[in-house]
Order: sequence, then structure tokens, then C-alpha cells
Amino acid sequence: MSVEKELRRTVKDLLEEGGIDLFIGWERGSLPTVASPLFITDPVDAERLIFDITCGSNPAVYFTKDRRQFDGRRVGVVLKGCDSRSMVLYIKEKQADRENVVMVGAQCNGVLDRGKVASAAGGREILELEDDGEKTVTLKGRDYEIAVERDSILSSSCLSCIHPDALECDHFIGEPRQSVTREQRLREVREFEALSSTERWERTRHEYEKCIRCYACRNVCPSCYCAVCFVDQNDPPWIGGTCEFTDSMIFHLVRNLHVAGRCVECGACARACPMDIDLLLLNRKVAMEVLERFNDEAGMDITAKPAMADFKEDEKQDFIMG
Amino acid sequence: MVKLKKNELDRLICRLAGSYDVYAPVDIDGNVEFARVSSAEDMDQSRTVTNLSPKEIFFPKDEVLFEYDADGIRPADSMDRPIAVWGIRSCDTKSLMLLDKVFGSAIQMPKEERFQDPYWKKRYDGALLFGAACAEPLSTCFCNWFGGGPFATEGMDVHVTDIGDAFLLNPVTPRGEDYLESLDFTAEVSESDRKAAAEIAGSAEAVMSPPVPIDGLDQLLPGLFLQEEVWGEVSAACINCGACTFVCPTCHCFDMQDEGRNEKGRRLRVWDSCMFPIFTSEASGHNPRSLSRHRVRQRVMHKYSYYPVNYGEYLCTGCGRCITVCPVNVDIRRTLLKLMTHDGEDG
Amino acid sequence: MSEWQPRILAILCNWCSYAGADLAGVSRIQYPPSIRVIRVPCSGRVDQLFILKSLQSGFDGVLVSGCHPGDCHYISGNYVARRKFALLKPLLEFIGIEPDRVQFSWISAGEGERFAEVITKITEDVRKLGPSKRLVKKT
Repeated sequence: MSVEKELRRTVKDLLEEGGIDLFIGWERGSLPTVASPLFITDPVDAERLIFDITCGSNPAVYFTKDRRQFDGRRVGVVLKGCDSRSMVLYIKEKQADRENVVMVGAQCNGVLDRGKVASAAGGREILELEDDGEKTVTLKGRDYEIAVERDSILSSSCLSCIHPDALECDHFIGEPRQSVTREQRLREVREFEALSSTERWERTRHEYEKCIRCYACRNVCPSCYCAVCFVDQNDPPWIGGTCEFTDSMIFHLVRNLHVAGRCVECGACARACPMDIDLLLLNRKVAMEVLERFNDEAGMDITAKPAMADFKEDEKQDFIMG
Repeated sequence: MVKLKKNELDRLICRLAGSYDVYAPVDIDGNVEFARVSSAEDMDQSRTVTNLSPKEIFFPKDEVLFEYDADGIRPADSMDRPIAVWGIRSCDTKSLMLLDKVFGSAIQMPKEERFQDPYWKKRYDGALLFGAACAEPLSTCFCNWFGGGPFATEGMDVHVTDIGDAFLLNPVTPRGEDYLESLDFTAEVSESDRKAAAEIAGSAEAVMSPPVPIDGLDQLLPGLFLQEEVWGEVSAACINCGACTFVCPTCHCFDMQDEGRNEKGRRLRVWDSCMFPIFTSEASGHNPRSLSRHRVRQRVMHKYSYYPVNYGEYLCTGCGRCITVCPVNVDIRRTLLKLMTHDGEDG
Repeated sequence: MSEWQPRILAILCNWCSYAGADLAGVSRIQYPPSIRVIRVPCSGRVDQLFILKSLQSGFDGVLVSGCHPGDCHYISGNYVARRKFALLKPLLEFIGIEPDRVQFSWISAGEGERFAEVITKITEDVRKLGPSKRLVKKT
């Protein structure tokens, strides 16, 4: 049975007799490259659910948006590996109640990066997208049809994903997948580290100068749920709201540090960015430091204390002045 | 109408650059946006809709209004050359006309009530806009909902059609006409050129989906204002980022920010977005639009009700950028259809 | 013309490092006049944002100092701070900011001498780097 079919059946059952009141999944969007989040309460609507390469955002985020809709309700949600880690994070941080969440993991074959897929089509409009789920994605437009290698249009977070399968879930649909090794995952970080300081600075500047401060990265991020973000505190302001480089850069650096040990590297931020900034590189670097120094990975262990809320007395402190 | 051979475009751009600051679509690291150009080579005219809208030329993301120090206040460096834009689409020229109603007070109003924003006016008044016809409208284009179309000329000074080996330059305003007359390297337009342009126009029109009639939407929306449920439905997926508002050619809300230290500082105007909670946060801590649905409602109401009531037309030109850019595929067309077919009862 | 002097922001915890600075002062211990001090209740209060904002406003270096491990007035504030600082330094280095511009130390209330040494050291480190440019906002 296909993943989608089984998902629909599972969700229908859950809504009919599984005791859930609401299910969060995806339906086909108005564009062939982006699925639209779908909130269903009626079992009939389970037929609208899809689960494929276009389901790019992280659905866990809705647990911290309009919280009212979750009050007293049992909610089901379909999860990729990364999304499940966000849910684990939410349960640890008391943003979701494990008892009232039904986690449905589904086999994830990666999600696409809109920037990459747009350049694969050479800037031409994509009207149809067909995915064989393994090697090839076919893009069709008004007067063209091209087959592109699947890996070439996948989000970079998926190419380096170490946990494609949902870690904590009540149901799992499809087949478990192979993950990449830690070294593969850090390839880009290592390559960047090998550059000279000036080069690293120039590249960082080049990327972050594009920022228009729309905060799509922040708002699509499940780990960013502060009631009032520091950039929204304006009396007095911490940093300027302009697109001047240092204002943008400090916003991104502080965001990275505030989600340190909490970022699950789902890459939703990078995919949401309208300016196609490579936002994930810094997140990965910080995640790497967290793992190496504190031996912790975000959203992996439902019982562990989040890294930045924890400490050990005899921790390595090589960066403290002697 | 005159004809400009494609190999003469650079000549036109260079000539324009002699007396104007010339802007055109430029590919900056994969994003096509309007930027200063000095020759035709800098441009990327392949996109029907650029990633960012050209409103930024006239209404920058951040703009210094004035600077101050112990000696007093100085206005920000003022621009001394007028602006010319090449390759701007009709949805975008129309958006500038809509913005001009707000910033330039370009509507019939008693003189004493008019407000004219000097920063906007110094850029927009006197600008020379070479609009580009759209040979290949996108599936996200819905300019025809608002009376536009791929070959509309509203807001342009010169309408430009690409016929393959040449551009047909058709003056729309006297300013455009004067400029075209001053050129000595254009050619005459032949009957076959006209036919080619008409064919392109025909096939472009044929690609567009039929418009959805939205007359009366501005009257309908106030009645839906208090119906929380329908707004909850249309905003369910929205994550409340400002991407749609920042790529929108007609969104024009801004914030004032003061930057000062010791004895000097400056005041800036920066883009703001009704999608952000801080947009309406009050000093008391209360926020009248605390929920996502309220902010989405504001965006819809402003574009399709408040602005039409004040200025007589919708504050949307159907460029479709908000649809393309949304990380969760909130499609404004679906939102409008949903609202229009709502039965008017909550629950 | 006089030689360029680095400007360094020192964020000191109230209970140990600030008292250490006090001791250095009352003991008439000499150290370079390069620092401006901000007193915070605990090094755990220091968000990385404070440090980045200081760099943005033009400080050439930032020092954050708290109580020695085990001595925190609030039991564990400096341990939590340590984890935050542990990430900031590599991240700054990663994007190409000189890591020596941002430094951390533990100075107790009795270590006036050490306070002077730390200030001398960071002043010399920053002097070698020259004026800060990369994250400074131009106005």
C-alpha cells in the first residue's frame, strides 16, 4: 500500500474511532511545488491528505501558533523524522502534552528546495511535478518537460539528514530509511571551516546581505516560539529593524544561538526564505558544537534536559581565559 | 510607435543613464529584482514576475529621512537625478499608481487635506517608466481580476513589446512620447511588426485564466469582520511571517525608527508588516490583533475593503508574488473565493 | 597623534568579578584604561545578544566575567553562562569574526591582581587585532 493511501486510512480511523479531534497534515497546494497544511476534523477529509516531496514546512509549528485551537483536544499530526524531533522538543518544553498528541510518522524521502527546483527549471514556471520517489523528478511547464536528478533538488537538510524516520511515534507508515553518517552531514560545515577567515566572512556577508527581515525563517521554525521575540522588543530596541547588514546578521546569529540545542535541522527556515539564503549552515555549525561539547542532539531523547538548560560542573572550558 | 532593434537596447540604456538613474530587473544571486544598471548586459528580462517588486525603487526598505547632530538637523542626501525604469510589468506600474494615491495624494481631495510625502514624490514624480508587455503570463498571475492584463499599459510612460529581434515602443503618456521623439536610433514600425505584436498579445491573453468577478467585495467584507470562524479558516495555515507583505508591490505600511547615540543620530523609515504582532502592540502590553486570524483579516480588509472605500479601487494588482513566496501556500485567490462564498453565518 | 587605544566592554557579575575590579582599584593596581564596565547580577544574565550588540555599536572587544565554577551566588548561573559562551566563540570564528575580540574569564572578589592581568591580556589581544570593523554598524 502506498504511504499516502495508508496515511489516509490511518487518519480516517483515528478520526472515526481513535479518539482524535483534529488532524494536521498536508493537501495539494495551488502550486505544484508547495503543499498546503491541512487541518481536518471530518474523517471524510482524510481523502485530501498527501505526503510527498512538496510537504516542506514543519507541521509541529502549529502547536505553538494559535494555541486556543488545541485546548482540550486530542490532536494527530503526520511527521517526518525532523518534525518528530520538534514534537519531542515541544513535549520536553511543555508546549505539547504527550497524552493528547497522536504522532503519525511517515516514510520521508526528502522534501524539495524551492530555490533549487526553480533553478533546475531555468527560471521557467513549473506547472506540474512528478516524483518517482527514488531517482528522478519530472518538471513540466507550458512548453517543456525535463527530468532532473532527485537529489539535485532536495533541500540540503534532507541530503544530510541523520534521522529521516520519526523517532517517537504512535504509528509509522511506510518503510524505515537509511540515514547518512554524521560525517556526511557535516561535510558543508567542514568545507566552510577550511576556508580562510576573510573568505568565511565574505561569504557570510554575501548570504546575509540578502535578508529582507520578513521573519519567515523565524515564524516557520518550531523552535522559535517566544511570546515576544527580541527583535520585536522596541522600547528600547535591542537591534535595528533595518536590512542594514549588521542588523540582519545579529538577528540571525542570535536566533541561531537561541535555538542552540533545540534546532532539529529540519531546514524549514531555509526553504521558507524568499531570498534563498543558506540559513542552515550556521544552525548546523551550532548543532555540531552542541553535540561535541555537550553530547546532546535536539529532540532525540524525550527524557533528557535540553542542552542549554543543563550543565555539568566539570565541563570543558578551554575558551575561558587562563 | 517606434521600433528599437535589440542590439540598440544598450544604446538606449546608456542614453537614459546619461540623465536618469536607470533601474531594470537584475539577477542577483538567483533572485531577480530591480537594481541600478548601466548597460543592457546587466539585465535579466527573462522573468515575467520578478522576485521582489519594484516598489523598492520608490519606497526603499530602509530610508533615512534626516540626520541630526549638535549642529542641527539635516535632511538625508537628496537624489538629484530622476529615475527611469526598464522592464517593469503592468501589475507593478499599476501598483505604483495605487501607492501614489497614498503617498502622493494623487486623488481628488480638498487641497488643505492633502498630504504629500516628499520622499515618495521626489522619486515617483518625474520617473520615466518603460513597461514590458507580458508574453508569458504565469499561472499565479491574476491581474485580470483587477482590470489589468498582460498587455495593459496603466501607469507606464512607454509600453514595450518584445517581438523577437526588436522591441516595439509605444508611448502611453506625453512624457513617454517626448522621450521617444528625442531618440534618433529607432526605426519605423512595419505592418508585420504590428501583426507580430498582436499575435503575442493574443496568445498571452489566451493563457490567462478567466477573471473571477470580485465586484462588491469591498462592500461584502465589513459584514464578515466579526465572523471569527471564517477568518480562522482562511488563516489556519498562515505562520504570520511577513514574506507576502514584503514582496507585495502595494503593501506600504512602515515603521519609524530612531537611531541615535551621544550627540548624533538619524531617523529612518523601514518597511513594516501587519503580519507581525508588534505592528499593533500597544504601550500597555495589550494587542488588539493578538491572533493570527486578526492579522490576516487586517491584510485582506486593507487591500479589498478599506483602501477601496478611501481610494475607489482594490489595493492589489494580481501580480501573484504572495502566492509564489508563501512557505505554506496560503493563496490569496483561494482566500478571496472562500470569503465571497461564505454564507455569512458563523458556525 | 597618540596611538590607537582599544575600547573594550567588560560585563562583570556583581558578586565576584565586579568586586574583583573594585579590589584592583582600591589596591591601586595598574591596568590599561581600555575598559568600560557594565555590572550585571550574574554572568548567567548575559545573553549572547549583549555581546553582539556591543560589537555592533563599535566596541573593539568584549569581556564577560563571572564567579569561578562552584562560587556562583545563585548556585549555577555561571554554569549556564558557560554553555552559552561555549557556543558563541566558535560561531563567531566560523563566520569570520576574530575570536579574540570576545573573551570570558572567572575572577573572584579576592582576585584584584588577576583582574588587572585579565584586562591587560585582553587589551593586548585586541590591540593586536586592531580596530573592529566586521560587525560594526556604519551610520
